[in-house]
Amino acid sequence: MSDFQIALTNTAGISSVMSFWVFVASNGFRKRRDIMVKIASFVLIVGFLALTIAIVARGVEAQRFPLSNLYESLLWFAWATMGGYIWLRRTYGIGQLGWLASLTAAVMFLYGSWLPQSQHEIAPLVPALVSYWRQIHVPPLIVSYAMLFLSGLCGLIQLWCSGRSRAVIVASATILTAFGAIILGTFYKVEVLYLQLLFVGGSIVGVLLSWWSLKFVSEAHINEKNANVYDDISYRCIVVGFPLLTIGIITGGLWANHAWGSYWSWDPKESMALVTWLSYAAYIHLKVHRELSAEKLSLVAVIGLLLTLLTYLGFNTLGFGGLHSYGQFK
Amino acid sequence: MSAETTKERTMPETPVKSKKSNVSFVASVKLTIISLSLIAATVLVGAWCPQEGQVGREKVFEAFGEKAAPVLIQLGISDIFHTPWFLFLIALLTLNMVACSFQRVFPKIRLLRQPLPALAGDAILRLPYNRVVTLGPTRENEEEIAVRLASVLKKKGFKVTRSTKGDARLTAEYGKIGRLAATVTHIGLLTLVGGVTITSWTGFNGFQPVKLGDSMSFADSQHSKLWVGSLPDWTVRVNRTWKESYPGGEPKQWYSDLSVIGKDGEEKKRGVISVNNPLTYDSVDIYQASWGLDSLELKFNGQARELPLQTMGGRHAAFLPLDSDSVLIFSATDQTPDSPLRLFAKRTEWEAPKKITEIKPGQSIDMGGVQVQFSRLLPRTGLQYKRDPGLGIIYVAFAFIMAGVMLAAIPFRQVWASVEFGKDTDKDTDMEADTGSAELSYEEKADKETDLKTQSTKVLYIGGRSVKARVGFERLMDSLVEEHFVAESEASSSLEEIKP
Ligand code: HEM
Repeated sequence: MSDFQIALTNTAGISSVMSFWVFVASNGFRKRRDIMVKIASFVLIVGFLALTIAIVARGVEAQRFPLSNLYESLLWFAWATMGGYIWLRRTYGIGQLGWLASLTAAVMFLYGSWLPQSQHEIAPLVPALVSYWRQIHVPPLIVSYAMLFLSGLCGLIQLWCSGRSRAVIVASATILTAFGAIILGTFYKVEVLYLQLLFVGGSIVGVLLSWWSLKFVSEAHINEKNANVYDDISYRCIVVGFPLLTIGIITGGLWANHAWGSYWSWDPKESMALVTWLSYAAYIHLKVHRELSAEKLSLVAVIGLLLTLLTYLGFNTLGFGGLHSYGQFK
Repeated sequence: MSAETTKERTMPETPVKSKKSNVSFVASVKLTIISLSLIAATVLVGAWCPQEGQVGREKVFEAFGEKAAPVLIQLGISDIFHTPWFLFLIALLTLNMVACSFQRVFPKIRLLRQPLPALAGDAILRLPYNRVVTLGPTRENEEEIAVRLASVLKKKGFKVTRSTKGDARLTAEYGKIGRLAATVTHIGLLTLVGGVTITSWTGFNGFQPVKLGDSMSFADSQHSKLWVGSLPDWTVRVNRTWKESYPGGEPKQWYSDLSVIGKDGEEKKRGVISVNNPLTYDSVDIYQASWGLDSLELKFNGQARELPLQTMGGRHAAFLPLDSDSVLIFSATDQTPDSPLRLFAKRTEWEAPKKITEIKPGQSIDMGGVQVQFSRLLPRTGLQYKRDPGLGIIYVAFAFIMAGVMLAAIPFRQVWASVEFGKDTDKDTDMEADTGSAELSYEEKADKETDLKTQSTKVLYIGGRSVKARVGFERLMDSLVEEHFVAESEASSSLEEIKP
């Protein structure tokens, strides 16, 4: 890895952390909030541009499309999260999603930087990955994960703005627990059954508890206008992420057919992507048919976020195995 | 006179049940949600438990131990995608989708051709988004204002239709093609079900490791229980198979040179396959799936003999027992074509094998009067094959599904507007400021009206909806109205104030 690339990647990582703190601080200053949100977003844009160049530089250095292992996919995920936020801010003029988006990007950078050095190095590809299909199949998936992630985060903010602070706390704790399981699975030797239980069991309990907590409404915190805005943005993110996920899954099928002679083989990661896809199909039908209130839909988006996390990082780190283990390094 | 604007937003947050009176449960979205959730849960379990069809039954025992594994096998969880339960769920979803698509989704195509009806001001006020702008006295007549609005909307990408009845009403649509999303996606899903059914009834697939020089037939292939297909009578011969490595030794690519041999023994087709690069003959595709060393060919005093190789770490070993106590071990590697063969001896009482010598490919050594020659390593290529008659249809389905979900991302926006003669004053607009208006006498009211008429006040009613991007739409409309109508009427009304 060249120094140039390291410097750019570090710039992106540091600016995501910085913008997170400026976003957080902006809540302490009523009067200067707008200007601080502007500064934080600007810092994030700088990081986004640095990361864009870093990824391109990595591709040039490696003489291949720079998306072939877990570390590189984390860079892409952070890139898409930052880019997604910048796009949403431009179209909706919202600021508060920024601190969750920059936090997500920062966490992904940190996670990536903790990975062993072998992941950071530019390594030759295994035979199965030497194909032009790689660049058709993987980027839409990573970008869709980021968009679906953002939609879940919007769901959290929507719940907050509709006075469901208790549900927000439970749901956030659930997401943190799930991510904790992934960290444990990546860096420590823990029995996989416990890890899976922590992730899946924690998510089920957490979601049920949050659903139940929807009953508790603190009227004082309600900001109906923002609740509406975030409800809308959450859907918008899904409506963009869902086609990308569809394209990713289908091109994966085309590639598999090309390489192995079968477009679908119920490989665990494939199946998991299908679960995620089906759950967003369910979300879209619920939304189009207005079967659920905005708050419940926000929780469905949070469930989607957990499934996305399980598909993206969970399957390799929690010991589910399967053909898509290129992201693994243990 | 000041410009007053009112926003009335209905709050769609309370769940509004769509009309379901004439829709059976089979075609209901409720059933869709239930079956999608159950399928998702079932697939999740299938993703968690190793599947026998994929990795073999041993893996299930490996993962869950002697106690739990039989239970999982008994319950069908280790082969969940072939259980009656899963097939039932798929059938349920298919039924639901067919019923729903024909009853509710496809009929909506008609809406595409129907023009939007032009609405009057009071109907516009009932739309999810609506605004009333009282325009100050302007020289523009209603018609001209409508034309101006139309051109503003056109600039924003809307397709505008003006009312032909001589009133100043218009309708505008954006992203109408997005309305096709559900239809296109669902056609794709139905096509997918069709394609998968054809494949499962007539297709087959399989995997076979084939040693260099050997041939493969399709006798061991797998297909579904309900099957009306046929198997090919030709075979595939492996003429050559080799691997390519990176300088560090990691495998880079595997190749096999294959010949299709007809029933009459004649070569029908020949080609080199590699990973990601199959050979197709008679609509059967043959793929390079794996590669390894199969056996070791030695010559004892010129007589060829093959010993099977076993993988041991990075190396491969062949065993030649001499008597009940001693064994010769040949250790080979395929790192480079000229890697030597290592020869070891092992007796029961020895702790570790003893290395005797090394033999280069083609060379021979003398062992107690026997000439042992290392002639070559025989590789084995793992061939995956399949015939998939539904594939073309499935690819068409994929195209439809991708197109459909992309269409679903297009926000569909509808706008209605009507410019009317200043009659709004006795309606909602000025009410808030002018709560006493109900008490106005008839004459006063009439006065006011004629007053308005002479000042030629016009009112712009504008409203619309966008289910998929409501807030973005409202922002767009607000800025459009404010920029082109409110700002101007404010400017003209301030002029008004200066004049007298
Ligand atoms: C299997 C049972 C299913 C039923 C009964 C069903 C029913 C419906 C209905 C009634 C609509 C609304 C049509 C409209 O109002 O214009 C719709 C829309 C849609 N459905 Fe389905 N659906 C099913 C499965 C699926 C699946 C598995 C997908 C997967 C992608 C899917 C994707 C869509 C999409 C993308 C839309 C368009 C939504 C939009 O307009 O934004 N459907 N579906």
